[in-house]
Amino acid sequence: MSVVWILAGFFLLLALWGICIYNRLVMLKNDVRNAWSQVDVQLKRRYDLIPNLVAAVKGFMEHEKTLLQNVVDARARAMAADRIRDRSSAEDSLTNCLNGFFAVMEGYPVLKSNENVMHLQEELVSTENRIAFSRQLYNDLVANYRTRLEVFPDMIISSLFSFRPAEYFSAGRDDLQLPKAALSSSAQ
Amino acid sequence: MPITFIDIERQKSWRIGLLLFFLVALYFLFAFIIAQAVVLFLLGTRSFFVIGSANYAVIIAVSVLTLALVHFGISGYTAVQRVIEQVRAETPDPEDGIHRQLVNIIAEIHIASGNTRKIRCMVIPTLSMNALAVTDLKGEAVIAITEGLLSRLSRDQLEAVVAHEAYHILSGDCLETSLAASLFGIYASAVDGLKGASTEDVRAVPFLLLFWMLSTLASMVNMFISREREYRADAGAVRMTRNPLALAEALHRISARWSGAGFISDGLEMLCISSPTVDSHDEAEGWLDDLLSTHPPVRKRIAVLLGMAHLSPSALDKQDRSRTPVQMPPLPAGSFEGGSVQEPLMFCPSCRGPLVREPAESTTVFRCHACRGLLVDNDKIPRILARKQVECTDRLLALVRAVTADNQRSLAIRQKRLKERKNAETIPCPKCGRVMFRTFYSYAYLIEIDRCNACCLTWFDADELEMLQYIIENKITGAIENLQEFHG
Ligand SMILES: [Zn+2]
Ligand SMILES: [Zn+2]
Repeated sequence: MSVVWILAGFFLLLALWGICIYNRLVMLKNDVRNAWSQVDVQLKRRYDLIPNLVAAVKGFMEHEKTLLQNVVDARARAMAADRIRDRSSAEDSLTNCLNGFFAVMEGYPVLKSNENVMHLQEELVSTENRIAFSRQLYNDLVANYRTRLEVFPDMIISSLFSFRPAEYFSAGRDDLQLPKAALSSSAQ
Repeated sequence: MPITFIDIERQKSWRIGLLLFFLVALYFLFAFIIAQAVVLFLLGTRSFFVIGSANYAVIIAVSVLTLALVHFGISGYTAVQRVIEQVRAETPDPEDGIHRQLVNIIAEIHIASGNTRKIRCMVIPTLSMNALAVTDLKGEAVIAITEGLLSRLSRDQLEAVVAHEAYHILSGDCLETSLAASLFGIYASAVDGLKGASTEDVRAVPFLLLFWMLSTLASMVNMFISREREYRADAGAVRMTRNPLALAEALHRISARWSGAGFISDGLEMLCISSPTVDSHDEAEGWLDDLLSTHPPVRKRIAVLLGMAHLSPSALDKQDRSRTPVQMPPLPAGSFEGGSVQEPLMFCPSCRGPLVREPAESTTVFRCHACRGLLVDNDKIPRILARKQVECTDRLLALVRAVTADNQRSLAIRQKRLKERKNAETIPCPKCGRVMFRTFYSYAYLIEIDRCNACCLTWFDADELEMLQYIIENKITGAIENLQEFHG
């Protein structure tokens, strides 16, 4: 009789333990999803800002027609991309285009005195940073989630309920990698 | 396993926690001794530390606890408001380019840290370079940056500084610091009070000694925690921005300049990014100096940061990408684009020409193109002074010499005949028409300006703003000794 009770208790504990792991996985998955929506918001913000900036500088940059066209095209390509992987590379090329564009803008001092252009440029620079940061957070969370899916006890639950690993939104820039030195150690 | 920022948030350094516990225990010890002392003085019968009955012990313990909780609550709920008032921080001006940038940077840091709690940013109108962060139990959080820092750092560097401060807020450092500061501030003043009392009453002497020892111990522990936190916040900032070089550069620039502002009272200097008190301990190394400073030596912090970026210290001088002054091209004649907004047209008070709204250092001023006079909002003056880079021309130098010498003389004369002085040379305010008040920018910087106190506007004649900037930048102060009697 007591053996049955012990067995029942054991299975109950096992079930509770499973539920805990399941909940944690769901929580991590939601973290990833929230982080992705933040990336998405910022990418949309960039799509909205680019036409405004291009329109504002068009009059001043007569000789840079092709450059401006490139930016507009890159934006269109990025907006059309569908899967995360395609989108990630399209966004990367848009970022590169914009950086080239900003560098050229430096050569036009008259733009510096135009309040509207300066305002739009600052907004766009800020958006670039927001994209980089939200992407960095997203990738960190994805890495966290993927590790959880693969380590031992969680692995059982994740394969049982077929949790799918999230995809990285690759950061094309090297400087976004976390520096290798031990961060938590204070000065020696 | 990769550690995200959110994980750092969840995992707290046990050392800091333990020390904090120690601090709180110290606080209770203090309160306990005070309660004992009160009983001793009031009744005069019971001997010190001898607890007569269980009831007595319970009464003491309960009263100590209530006192501590009330104190904790009051100081915790008002911390942000108190500090903001103390440093006279203002909300950023949406019209101002650089202030808008600061608002953007805070939003970016929110994203980088995955933080959803709102952190406000504010600006401290002073030319010194520093930044501070405060939070309180209400959940309000503020990062305040001085005008001087805003204008002398590049965007990346500013971002690193804001990230450092944001880390202090998110990790709870700020709350602990401001609580500790207000809790132990009372005991520090108790020590002062007892010093006075001990000269009259011998019974106060042992209390004085005990208090002094305890408060010194408390402040040492506090400082140790503070130093540990600085390293941790630097690391946290790098985690957010992935740009250790920018933070190193920012610290380098801050340390090279005057970071003090005299605006922060005891205990709160730990909230700043760089120690605002000028103290020989701060930069020296060695165990004693380590014990007595709130911030680790900037050199050490920079070395750690450069280590993360795999750079040698010489990289700092080479790669200094600070904000370069923007050269404004002259406005084409007849272009009133900026000024043609529905603002009432104002006229120059000295030559009656129209005043044109024009951009200056990411904000706007009104200029008379005939006599080059300038009309500036009072609150914009520190910003322009901090941002403007004047070239040192011989003309300006000669002008500065002549004007300061002249003004010093006139100030000396004015001291003698203060009452006789007539407002003969006053000009009307371009906005409201009332007579403007003629004064020196300050008695340390002897440049004459005209102020309208109703409209908060200041009029600079041609070159006066540049001269003021030059004088402040090069710390050419008037002969202060002459001025003492004037103030007295
Ligand atoms: Zn004029
Ligand atoms: Zn007025």
